Amino acid sequence: MSMFEDIPVDVGVIYEGERIRRNNMQVELGGPKQPAKFELVRAKKMDEVEDEKVTVIGPDLKDLPEGGNVPFGIYIEVAGKDIEEDLEGVTERRIHEYLNFIEGIMHLNQRYDIWIRVSKKSFQKGLNSFTYLGKVLARLYKSELPFIEKIQITFITDPAKVKEMYDQAAEIYEARDAKARGMKDEEVDTFYGCTLCQSFAPTHMCVITPQRYSNCGSISWFDGRASAQVDPKGPVFAINKGDLLDAEKGEFSGINETIKQKTLGSVDRVWMYTGFGYPHTSCGCFEAMAFYIPEVEGYGIVDRGFNGVTVNGLPFSTLADSGAGGRQVDGFHGIAIEYMRSPKFLQADGGWDRVVWMPQSVKDRVKEFMPKEAIANVATENDVKTVDELTTFLKEKSHPVVQRWKEATVEAAPATEGEEALDGIAFPVSTATVAAGGFKIIFINAKIHAEKVIIKRDKPKR
Amino acid sequence: MAKKGLVVKVKELKTNIAVVKGLEVSIGKIVDDTWEEPEGPTPFPSMTDLRDWDFKLLQRYKPFYLPFCDVCCLCTFGKCDLSGDKRGACGLNMAAQSSRIVLLACCIGAATHTAHARHLIHHLIEKHGRNFPLDQGGLNIDIEAPVTRLVCGIRPKTLKDLEDAVEWAEEQVTHCLSATHTGQEGSNLDFESKAFHVGMADQVGMEIADLAQISVYNFPKADPEAPLVELGFGAADVKKPTILVIGHNVPSSVGIIDYLTKKKLLGKVEVVGICCTAIDLTRYSTAAKIVGPISWQLKYIRSGLADLIVVDEQCIRADALEEAQKVKTPVIASSPKNCLGLENSTDKPANELISKLVEGKVPGVLIFDPEKVGEVAVESVMAVAPKRNKFSIIPEIDEIIAAGKACSGCNECIRACPNNQPIPEAMKAAAEGNLKPFAEIFDNCVGCARCDSACPKDFPLHSFMIKAGEDKSLSEKFMMRSGRGAIQDIEIRNVGGPIVLGEIPGIVALVGCANYPDGNEAVAEIAEEFAKRRYIVVLSGCAAMSAAMVKDEEGKTIYEKYPGGFEAGGVLNVGSCVANPHIAGAAIKVASIFAKRNIRANYEEIADYIHNRVGAVGLAWGAMSQKAASIAAGFWRLGVPVIVGPHGSKYRRMLLGRKDKKEDWYVYDARTGDKVYTGPTPEHLFTTAETKEEAIVMIAKLCMRPNDTTKGRSMKLTHYIDLHKRYYGVMPDDVHLYVRNKMDIPITMKPEVLKILEEKNWKETRIPDPTLLKRMIRKRG
Repeated sequence: MSMFEDIPVDVGVIYEGERIRRNNMQVELGGPKQPAKFELVRAKKMDEVEDEKVTVIGPDLKDLPEGGNVPFGIYIEVAGKDIEEDLEGVTERRIHEYLNFIEGIMHLNQRYDIWIRVSKKSFQKGLNSFTYLGKVLARLYKSELPFIEKIQITFITDPAKVKEMYDQAAEIYEARDAKARGMKDEEVDTFYGCTLCQSFAPTHMCVITPQRYSNCGSISWFDGRASAQVDPKGPVFAINKGDLLDAEKGEFSGINETIKQKTLGSVDRVWMYTGFGYPHTSCGCFEAMAFYIPEVEGYGIVDRGFNGVTVNGLPFSTLADSGAGGRQVDGFHGIAIEYMRSPKFLQADGGWDRVVWMPQSVKDRVKEFMPKEAIANVATENDVKTVDELTTFLKEKSHPVVQRWKEATVEAAPATEGEEALDGIAFPVSTATVAAGGFKIIFINAKIHAEKVIIKRDKPKR
Repeated sequence: MAKKGLVVKVKELKTNIAVVKGLEVSIGKIVDDTWEEPEGPTPFPSMTDLRDWDFKLLQRYKPFYLPFCDVCCLCTFGKCDLSGDKRGACGLNMAAQSSRIVLLACCIGAATHTAHARHLIHHLIEKHGRNFPLDQGGLNIDIEAPVTRLVCGIRPKTLKDLEDAVEWAEEQVTHCLSATHTGQEGSNLDFESKAFHVGMADQVGMEIADLAQISVYNFPKADPEAPLVELGFGAADVKKPTILVIGHNVPSSVGIIDYLTKKKLLGKVEVVGICCTAIDLTRYSTAAKIVGPISWQLKYIRSGLADLIVVDEQCIRADALEEAQKVKTPVIASSPKNCLGLENSTDKPANELISKLVEGKVPGVLIFDPEKVGEVAVESVMAVAPKRNKFSIIPEIDEIIAAGKACSGCNECIRACPNNQPIPEAMKAAAEGNLKPFAEIFDNCVGCARCDSACPKDFPLHSFMIKAGEDKSLSEKFMMRSGRGAIQDIEIRNVGGPIVLGEIPGIVALVGCANYPDGNEAVAEIAEEFAKRRYIVVLSGCAAMSAAMVKDEEGKTIYEKYPGGFEAGGVLNVGSCVANPHIAGAAIKVASIFAKRNIRANYEEIADYIHNRVGAVGLAWGAMSQKAASIAAGFWRLGVPVIVGPHGSKYRRMLLGRKDKKEDWYVYDARTGDKVYTGPTPEHLFTTAETKEEAIVMIAKLCMRPNDTTKGRSMKLTHYIDLHKRYYGVMPDDVHLYVRNKMDIPITMKPEVLKILEEKNWKETRIPDPTLLKRMIRKRG
């Protein structure tokens, strides 16, 4: 009854983390020693694919040298009436997951970086042909991604053929990336909603568009598209984007309707490209937080990996807590690192012109997508430690936020603990509330003897 | 913040509106309420404030009583036979009596931890002042003391802030204990509810104790890379003078390390520990070494390797002093709770005490001042060690052979053995000169030495085992990660994604004592089974030590093989017994961090959240003590299921769900207010497992929760089914109860599971936003 009775080794999720050491390996396919290796999925027409056909070009597993390292390619062609080129990438990434389910197969990386080891133990158990790998892949693909109606798989170990197809694959990857990067929210009618996090944050919903990744950084628009196709009733679903209500802020009627329904009305309006007004909600597992620094009227960005305190003196843990839980909080905005590579990044607030501080490690990750001036203008922990230092830094760099300061009015005086509040004691009331710069002192039963004095902090006015 | 009185006298006060003469203002209490989180409904809850919540749990997980004893002999009415449907002279029946004993055990446990906390803060305030700041993990922790915040509704910042919480816990223990008096509570469910309550108070007591010691002694602060420390008989260089510390309350051991440091003797004297004091001492100084869990006391003492023993409190053998005398090892008792009949010498000059111990004029001394303990212990051990010359009472092989020959085979030893170890056979083999069976028993022995007492010929059977196991044990050395303390907020954020995406199937906590049915290995095996499967494995106390006592073919222990972070496949030692609330705290923080639920004094809502959403399971494989009972009770009230090993049935009652009763497994869908069937998730709140295999399968099963995403559920089911097949050889019979829709089916098991669903006439259900509390329904209008 098992799906894999004819496979000589076990197949299951539990083998996913399996590591195969050099001493225990029968053969290594691809990996750092091979300049050319690849895995590629292509969408084809129904009549171009012979279902479940597995082909091996070059020597099969059993004929490869024990302990050796060989060039390697996996080429998968899929067909089905709902298949589209856009789904090739997400389909391809499943190779990693599925091959790792096989006992004695270790698969690392993707695309032109693949590195596979086959264990001696599994080889000895009879896992000696790529045909088995092909069978497992074909069955899992068809069972998990119902839009795949036909699939054929080719394994290549012949060096010349690997090289030839590697070159073709490289072009396809490049074209795919260019398309994905260039894809605009304006060009699609469908966005995707994700409520996976509602299992822990019942009022949060992510909206995933080509130019705004899910907050966790794990789900792209393409991933969303594939998931919604596989399980339209599931936690990742299509949103008809509806009417564009505000291009600058990124408000769409379809998003508003969907989020209202999915959050039972606790959120009914979303502006996709800003941290103010009706910002995209933040769950708890966002990769980074854009936090507004009122003193300089710009955003700091801090990611989960940053261990120190940010320029405003607060660490990620405190800042993150200010925005989490599926709420819309002005100026505390959970984001994915990938969103920082998007031209829509905080567009309504001024985009990169508004970013003033970020950890060096984040800067290094997104540098190539930042405008040239911003690279110099945005301070890191290596440049400044305090808001005062930041102010000076921004002035020196003539950061675009400095322009804004000229129009701004001076902030209210800082809070002090005022003794003058003791005036209030004289009031013969059972409970008196006294406001003193930033603090509120409540005397309970204060005629002569106060049983309790509660000191509360005044809510800062925005 | 804490209480503080204030009196202001003003002769004359002129203000804009009045002139006041002879004004006198006194303020009873100043409360710092600058904490913006609103206070929930149950700050410093009384014994009955959360009773409704308890009854909700007890309705689903009905107490199942396993009377350990048919009679009650707690008052002079009795003893009363309560078997069958009989009632005692006071009117109590067996169900109520059994739950009363559960409550009594939980009160003892909670009192122990709370008293421990009280002693620590008292001592630390005396030494470091009331304003010493608390710090659990620096910048990476925003939610410090999550349990105290949740239960008491306060946010402690300094040592003095802890006093309010500990005072509250003490009050709860007193109230709950009083309910066990003859003629008080009559309902078994109310006894159960009080057991939950005192278990919750226990969590506060423990959290306070650990928070205080982490802050003041600068233990690792929520550190995934807490140092690896040495553990085992062979960890210490026992050629050096060796001090053995036993117990749970670390100040006297800290006194020893401090004195060694001051006198530049660190490295010249070995300090080894047994039980939680050992863990906590390695958190203070990596120069300290661990012998092993509680069960190693007699093994080590009789081996004669310790030249001086310092005992503090909890889980110390009552005969430690007598056993020490047999090997001429002096003892220092350092806790008011464990005076061993010794004269209080706290105020005597150190020199006098040292010379008494060195000359053997007294078997031991009682000193309550930790610093003096340090001085006396160190100075004494240096003089005692050469005199003792590692004197041991472990018999020679020919003595064992002679005993084997003289053994009458009466079997009293095996009858006395809690784990039925084949001692009579080992004696027979010994008669032939074969000590191997004794060596095997040594590995499995919990060190109770009941066999010694039972032997009519007075053979020291436990010592025979020690001799037989000596070759292996003396050279044994393992690496354990020292107690890291709390889980960082950031770590919790990091696992949010992997948990909803199914990459982390659950959180397994291996905690508790070392009353194992068959040795340490089971704990290590269970821990590794789940770490390999990318669960998060959290350990504490004796279980954390036992898990270190197995090496792989490369000589590595699980702490060397798996990361120490709260992440997929992480293996974390949070610390000693009192570190257990860090595990509860992690679950509480999930609610705060992901759902932004207020945790302040908001127990019921957060317990409901945890029960329905956080796939955590506790296993106390060797649970023995009353403390283990109260620790478990603290988790029950939070809705976290606990499994105990075979001896755990002697706690007298389980909290078992009935998966066959469909009506028991409905929750409200907070989105709609509908009642939705969720399947038995989690099936039990407290249950026992007879074998490690049973425990492993049960853990995987109890990680399922009603909120699981389909990806999460499919992964949890994968492991449950895979483990069930591996250990029972068949598909579990209840798979259909855990599939809500077809996306839940494990991806590599589709055809077989679909077949079962068809056979069982399965119907799709929906995934709710689950709650047991009607008030949490969000639907408007």
